[in-house]
Amino acid sequence: MTSQIRRILRGIPVYLVLFLSTLFSLLPLLWAFSSSFKPLDSVMSDVTTFRLRAFLPVPFTLEAYSALFKAGFGRSILNTVVVGLSTMVLGILVCSLAAFAFAKINFPLKNVLFVLVLISFMVPFEAIAIPLYLVAERLRILNTMYALVLPGVANGLVIFLFRQFFMGIPNELLEAAFIDGASWVKIYWKIVLPLSKPALVSAGLFLFIFQWESFMWPLIAIHERKLRVIQVALAYLRTQYLTFWNQVFAGVVIGAVVPLLLIFPLQSYYIRAITLTGIKE
Amino acid sequence: MAGIPQGLASNKKAGLARPGFIKRRDYSSGYLFILPALTTLLVFRFYPIFFAIFKSLYQVSFVGGAREVFVGLQNYASLIRDGTFLNSLKVTLVLNAFINPIQIAISLLLAVLLNSNALSIRIFRTLIMVPLGISLAIASVIWGFALNPHSGLVNSILGLLGIPPQPFLTSSTQALWCVILIATWKGIAYWMIIFLAGLQEIPEHLYEAALIDGANSWQCFWKITLPLLKRVLLFVTVADTTANFLLFVPIFTLTRGGPQMSTNVLMHEAYSRAFVYSDMNSALAIVTVILAILLGIVGLQFKLIRTGE
Repeated sequence: MTSQIRRILRGIPVYLVLFLSTLFSLLPLLWAFSSSFKPLDSVMSDVTTFRLRAFLPVPFTLEAYSALFKAGFGRSILNTVVVGLSTMVLGILVCSLAAFAFAKINFPLKNVLFVLVLISFMVPFEAIAIPLYLVAERLRILNTMYALVLPGVANGLVIFLFRQFFMGIPNELLEAAFIDGASWVKIYWKIVLPLSKPALVSAGLFLFIFQWESFMWPLIAIHERKLRVIQVALAYLRTQYLTFWNQVFAGVVIGAVVPLLLIFPLQSYYIRAITLTGIKE
Repeated sequence: MAGIPQGLASNKKAGLARPGFIKRRDYSSGYLFILPALTTLLVFRFYPIFFAIFKSLYQVSFVGGAREVFVGLQNYASLIRDGTFLNSLKVTLVLNAFINPIQIAISLLLAVLLNSNALSIRIFRTLIMVPLGISLAIASVIWGFALNPHSGLVNSILGLLGIPPQPFLTSSTQALWCVILIATWKGIAYWMIIFLAGLQEIPEHLYEAALIDGANSWQCFWKITLPLLKRVLLFVTVADTTANFLLFVPIFTLTRGGPQMSTNVLMHEAYSRAFVYSDMNSALAIVTVILAILLGIVGLQFKLIRTGE
């Protein structure tokens, strides 16, 4: 009996830490979410002196959202979706092709070339964003969607993810097809890819969210307002509409809801992509 | 980053494990399959690095029409005497001296507390992970409002506790701490997930044996968890330091380096020189310095872990 009480008492600090961490994680989001559905004056008055209503969407209105879309925010969402989906499709193709070769084909200098892939994900994208501007300038793709999509297509981490998965596919399966006269392309397309759905989901999710969240490169590469992606549009929205908090919050909610809706049902796939580099042998 | 030696090892192992597979070396197919990925990596990842180093040795001269002239290490020499650059180097180092230990300690603590399959713990885990889906730009915008000195959420909650309103991002002594707060809010879930994956690799029976021997959970953490988590810890330390060394989004969105340059990190200084003051060559010298420091950090941390073994 006493040991049970002691165990419960010992658990209290643990739950207290977890509870406070949860509040810290969620309260700002709850506040942003509720404020986006409120008229501006309530947003302000609920925090000028604190009221619990700050976390509730009352009085409810969609005026912030309609004003936001009237100001052309829809275009930024569309741009980001186009960039995200193009990167996803091209990235899956380019990375899985390379990973297939690294996992299953023998060719000279393979290991050296694979080290290049690994080095590429040691150098974060932000580190090279400024010189990349000059490269994009020379390729004449600045201020186009190509400038946003192309640098995101070959991703070292995604190649690594596919390679790990492909290495788990038994060689006997491929050998049998090879003896039947199938080409490498056919083996890749007809046997390997259909077997790799989990890796395809992880990679697709990772590539899409990478583009949805990227900020510094789109900020540098795109000057034209109508080509802006959502994250950059939000940063400008904040400076332009500094007084219209509810509109900025509406933009924030849209920008946050899309990745959250993708990540939550596909949680394990996304976590797989994140943990792969740190843990896997 | 810790993936490198491991990746190589497993690659070698895999090569030996299937001697029977495709005896003919297939040169052309192999290269054709990796060609698209390799080309884009070379053009968009590696070429910019060399371009940065190369261009940092030039300076635009306006004598007889604007053109670039080779100046050797002169851009670097002027950086050493440049107060703004030295300040941004200092800000970056101070930021990293605090933010990395803070983020690693909190995410490791949460991972240890959340490493259980009990339903209540699983609910907490899901809720604490929510910021994972929020981009740093969005996190910065939300926190920018929350930390507003006049009508922000944080001051309004502090008011409940009887604490007077704070200036936060508008104060040169508090702004950097606000940046740390925002990046930590966003970053913790990510590192926590990696720690959790590492913790799940530690066999349960080690703890059971230790408990039978009368060890308490504090001793279990120091004697079992931490030593077995060393590789994951190294990976997180290197990756977290790298990410924070390049921290840019909250500073660009909220402070633009201010007040009084107190949040002007290296990345922001490089960005300003390149795109605000149109001094691209000097910006690229800073980028090269950043890349060199990153290389040093990664190398040093690998060396530390090796001597520790």
